[in-house]
Amino acid sequence: MLFGLDWEGWFSIAGALAMAGWAILILAPRRWAALNALPFYALPALLSGGYAVLILLHFADAPGGFDSLAGVAQLFESRPLLLAGWIHYLSFDLFVGGWIARRADAAGISRIVQAPILAATFMLGPIGLLLYLASAGALRLIDRRAPA
Amino acid sequence: MSHADNLAPIAPARLASPGRLLVQGALPMLALVPLCLIALAVDARLFNGVSVWIKPIKFQLSVALHLLTLALLLRLLQPAWASARGIRALAAALVAAGLFEIAYITAKAAAGEASHFNVGDPFHSAMYSLMGVGAVTLVAGAAVIGALILRRPADGVGPGLRLGAGWGLILGAAATLIVAGYLSSQGGHLVGGHLAGAQQTDAGGWPILGWSRQVGDLRVPHFFATHLMQALPLVGWAADRWAPARARPAVATAAAIGLALTAGTFAQALTGRPFLGGV
Repeated sequence: MLFGLDWEGWFSIAGALAMAGWAILILAPRRWAALNALPFYALPALLSGGYAVLILLHFADAPGGFDSLAGVAQLFESRPLLLAGWIHYLSFDLFVGGWIARRADAAGISRIVQAPILAATFMLGPIGLLLYLASAGALRLIDRRAPA
Repeated sequence: MSHADNLAPIAPARLASPGRLLVQGALPMLALVPLCLIALAVDARLFNGVSVWIKPIKFQLSVALHLLTLALLLRLLQPAWASARGIRALAAALVAAGLFEIAYITAKAAAGEASHFNVGDPFHSAMYSLMGVGAVTLVAGAAVIGALILRRPADGVGPGLRLGAGWGLILGAAATLIVAGYLSSQGGHLVGGHLAGAQQTDAGGWPILGWSRQVGDLRVPHFFATHLMQALPLVGWAADRWAPARARPAVATAAAIGLALTAGTFAQALTGRPFLGGV
């Protein structure tokens, strides 16, 4: 429990915040700078703040560590630390999504093509990043050899 | 494009031209291929007797090829048409349809389940219908581009390439709609005995393509019908280069052969006979 809400409750709130951020990234016009500031900076910062609170309160006393897979499994047996791990995913995936969006905009990649890449980053983080890196890299190569 | 991402305010995006948009759409599909090849190497799960990953890889490659073919052939249009807003909307629809198909096919394959013919519950039924909409969009869009190439070619496009590209896209689209349309309305791609749907297995079929060596396989005519869209433009281009005086008859002959192959293998599959059965 934290501030009167149980871990499932905080899990739901964190998830809803992240979803709102992804909805903006995937669907909203990019020229509304204030709105896009949410997924780009504000929501990752907010989620990171939540992560920080959980870590500061619970990391020191938790059994396990980052030295082995078994150690990590032990760490995640603590519910608040598991929640922190999840919020770490939510925050960083969203931040990476914003990074992809900004760079894709600068490269002139259509929003239609950005959508599935961002959706993949939302659901399966690193896979979305891989798809973006490969696609953008290929596009750069193509532009170098055959300027549009 | 700047390499330094300093969280700067959003730079105005330059709107991609239709051809460029099609190329952009193909790239994430192709990016999935090496990932799925790795999965193919380590995943033991089978679907229809072959690895679950065979189908998504085939579709990623072929839908990407389709978009790239259209991107290339768009260059045969008069510049004003090639960058027209209507063409851009068409390109957007083609890319959206293609990405949807690939995302769904890949996701279902990862789950070891069917994408095509999967009508087991309301969700999958609806998704199969959407797949149909996507497939028709991909094919009909090609036909539109083909018709425009015939009527509004850019200066300097040879007759072979103009006819090959235009008719390749139109005839390929028409033949695909017929063959694949029929295929999609059946319960599977195999035809054995009395059109009752042979036991679905690609095991023992052709390498990669999986075409049955025992019974009729509707994917064979689908292949010939759809690749008219690459074959005829290639024939036309070659004719312009090496036999310009005979470009028209060359393309016409290639079209006749291609359509005959399609019709022949379609009839063959419908009667439950395999393509090149003894091979």
